[in-house]
Amino acid sequence: MELFANLAHGFAVAFSPINLLMCLIGALVGTLVGVLPGIGTIATVAMLLPITFGLPPVGALIMLAGIYYGAQYGGSTTSILVNIPGEATSVVTALDGHQMAKQGRAGPALAIAAIGSFFAGCVATVLIAVLGAPLTKLALAFGPAEYFSLMVLGLIFAVVLAKGSVLKAVAMIVFGLLLSMVGSDIETGASRMAFNIPELADGLGFATVAMGVFGFAEIIRNLDHGAEMDRNLVQQKITGLMPTRKDLVDSTPAILRGTVLGSILGILPGGGAVIASFAAYTLEKKLAKDPSRFGRGAIEGVASPESANNAAAQTSFIPLLTLGIPPNAVMALMVGAMTIHGIVPGPQVMQKQPDLVWGMIASMWIGNLMLIIINLPLVGIWVRLLRVPYRLMFPSIVVFCAIGIYSVNNAPVDVVLAGAFGLVGYWLIKHDFEPAPLLLGMVLGPLMEENLRRALLISRGDWSVFLSRPLSAVLLAIAAGLLVLAVLPALRAKRDEVFVESEG
Amino acid sequence: MMSIRSLAGACLSAFAALSAFAAPASAQNYPTRTITMIVPFAAGGPTDVISRIVTAHMAQTLGQSIVIENVVGAGGTTATTRAARAANDGYTLITGHMGTHAASVPLYPKLAYHPEKDFEPVALLAGTPILILARKDFPPKDLKEFVAYVKANAEKVNAAHAGIGSVSHASCELLNSILDVKPVGVPFNGTGPAMNALVAGQVDYMCDQIVNAVPQINAGTIKAYAVATPERNPSLPNVPTTTEAGLPAFQAQAWNAVFAPKGTSPAIIATLNAAAIKALDDENVRKRLLELGSVIPAPANRTPEALATLVKNEIAKWTPVLKPAS
Amino acid sequence: MSDTPSEAPVKSILPEWVRGPQDFIGGLAMVAVALFALWASSDLQGMHGFSFGAGTAPRMFAVLLLLLGAAVALMGVLKDGPNIAAYSWRGPLFVSAAIVFFAVGIRPFGLVVSAFAAFLIAALGSHETKWIEAIIVGACLTLGCALLFPYVLGLPMPMFPRFLIQ
Repeated sequence: MELFANLAHGFAVAFSPINLLMCLIGALVGTLVGVLPGIGTIATVAMLLPITFGLPPVGALIMLAGIYYGAQYGGSTTSILVNIPGEATSVVTALDGHQMAKQGRAGPALAIAAIGSFFAGCVATVLIAVLGAPLTKLALAFGPAEYFSLMVLGLIFAVVLAKGSVLKAVAMIVFGLLLSMVGSDIETGASRMAFNIPELADGLGFATVAMGVFGFAEIIRNLDHGAEMDRNLVQQKITGLMPTRKDLVDSTPAILRGTVLGSILGILPGGGAVIASFAAYTLEKKLAKDPSRFGRGAIEGVASPESANNAAAQTSFIPLLTLGIPPNAVMALMVGAMTIHGIVPGPQVMQKQPDLVWGMIASMWIGNLMLIIINLPLVGIWVRLLRVPYRLMFPSIVVFCAIGIYSVNNAPVDVVLAGAFGLVGYWLIKHDFEPAPLLLGMVLGPLMEENLRRALLISRGDWSVFLSRPLSAVLLAIAAGLLVLAVLPALRAKRDEVFVESEG
Repeated sequence: MMSIRSLAGACLSAFAALSAFAAPASAQNYPTRTITMIVPFAAGGPTDVISRIVTAHMAQTLGQSIVIENVVGAGGTTATTRAARAANDGYTLITGHMGTHAASVPLYPKLAYHPEKDFEPVALLAGTPILILARKDFPPKDLKEFVAYVKANAEKVNAAHAGIGSVSHASCELLNSILDVKPVGVPFNGTGPAMNALVAGQVDYMCDQIVNAVPQINAGTIKAYAVATPERNPSLPNVPTTTEAGLPAFQAQAWNAVFAPKGTSPAIIATLNAAAIKALDDENVRKRLLELGSVIPAPANRTPEALATLVKNEIAKWTPVLKPAS
Repeated sequence: MSDTPSEAPVKSILPEWVRGPQDFIGGLAMVAVALFALWASSDLQGMHGFSFGAGTAPRMFAVLLLLLGAAVALMGVLKDGPNIAAYSWRGPLFVSAAIVFFAVGIRPFGLVVSAFAAFLIAALGSHETKWIEAIIVGACLTLGCALLFPYVLGLPMPMFPRFLIQ
């Protein structure tokens, strides 16, 4: 079996002391980057690129890869503890994770996030090794029309995400879509709603808005007088650190589904991991016997998106390793790291650089093992952090978030914008609008508009491409089906409501 | 005068590299602290990699570290605006390129800087040649057929590019204006997605820098019609030049060069220029640049004056091509 | 996120027929955002031939938001809903001030000064703050950040005030 020979070769490479060390450093830095809000993997990998100049290429790439998937582990930490997503991919983790923390179950939430990530990471690594080449076809089969249909499906997911009023959730999605329009037009380069502010020329950063409406808004809200009691509650009743048997039983199917969904979406270029986490959460909520538990501390709502985002982080290496085409910005940096070492990845990188490719694949499994060993004991420390009085905690979070946002582009304007979105988020909370659909709208907006326009340019304005291309048609059919499922109960409820009111 | 000064600078910097303690007596002891090199594109792209390879060697020569700061946005103009406004003390430099210091002039009517008026040219680093690429099953077999085919089917063909203001966009516009066709331009976010669409056959042709394309061409996932430089590129010996293939008018190279904010002292410029030239003559630097398919400028083209002329010519070249597009 | 603060809501200044002020005002605000976006994107090119113009998608989304905002406001008229929750001024004011100070200060004053000052300004946002404790923790945090961000993560940031370096 060629596969086993390749894997054996890969492990031989990955187990060399220097590569093990690189893997460990990558995992540690990744965890740190994930935990710190605002500091993203893109900025960190970009900053660490020059360091890899002096390292052997295999070790350098093992380290950079470790940062990328390590951040997926760390990203859930602040989501759960303080309702501030450390990474874009852990926005949905905050929905139920933080509720669990409020119920004194921060420990199980953090632990299940790590366990889910580990499982997903292991499965996705095997997937890369076994099915990498055939799965590449999927990445190539996705043209603009398919992307657009996928984004429509994503929007329908977002509706299902809503905890309260569907109408208000849809309004938030559209608000997010509108915010994502700020910046340069892709086709003409015209500046849209940027008001000649150079920092807005490329649009509002996702991290900026997410830090604002989740992070800063949450802090401001917690400083309200009435919220004090809530906080003390979080700090006092901390129950077990590890998940119970029931938690594990509940989470297992969620982890499995999240892994499958994440693995598939990760291969697609674009915001694969972010969409994967949103989609996984929605799927769990749809499949749950009692969907009302979601948003109130359902452990599946943590297990599934965390598995999905880590699976997607791993499988997003597939287009890079088999096609030599980076599917996202972090992978583009990986290409840069290879280029610096004189290796320009292409379709033949697997044959030409077996050490690099198989060493990296093997190291991912080792890295995931290291990460779970690092992260499970950390749970105890993180939970203890919750005992820090909030009067000291909140200024620290403000400072960390501010530094984090500044570091993304070295732009002070971004920090001010995040502050402004903090006030917007505070207002949204006061009017019972949810920020999660807004953020999903922001992620999907540009992907949707750009691919719609590309598809129409290529088809010369013929809208039927979305139905004549089979993959696209299937995605739209699923979207339509989901929409019917989502709208039907709402309509029924409304009828009941009208009925009740007319009686009274 | 300048050449004597740069020669002196070169000697002094060479001396500085040999003995760590020696501080160059001239140029006000420059540099005495870390230099920031702004790169207007994401880390890992061609401009970034070329900057990193050359500045790593320049830092040894200068005896101070050079930190690369990647500032992305608006086709590199965000970063260039910032560099134009930076202190002209020689501690903030920028790697400008064809887009930021030439094509941006017609593309962005509200550009907050002017490449000639707001910058002092320092040194030309390296250029990456532009290739004419097409999906692997695109009917034309060579450049002549390609020209005929695109002209005959101008209504039907799709040309991909990596976004407004990108090298692939500008060079594609140049090609289209030479062919006198206006195909539908399909914009992508960066060269990665554009290349993905070309490999998948969703678009017909595009122009792109050699770095990203070589492995795909060698693997047969896309095909190359010609390289838009006077000479063939060693990394693609079988791909003819546009001159050989019958389209000599199409000449394009994504050149990268170091600029300093206007008013930076000539002594500092000379020191930096000498360090850059020294880097370009280094065996290891040359090897790495050539691996990328880059073209290293001939000695005559490495002076600040030559760079100033290049910028002037390039602005003149791109303005008529890109003006109607915007 | 959606749990309403336990403090008694302010008395509604809205007319009687507004039965759900929270939704009513919320919806109207969305309408205002949409109108603003329509105005801001009014100078952009619309559809030309089969291809979208720069302004098509923004205007489409703005109109959609306008309709949805109006619908939310209408719900506020038709259905009984919660009143507008009380806002406090102290938290928003000082947290925003801290953020703005950090943004303005990071370039000229460097990380050390702006992080420490931002910590203390933010601390003003709570009446629970004990100053000696806050200064000690703030100093430790600043030191930690000054080591963590530039050295461990290698992010290029000015450390100290510019006038001290030159």
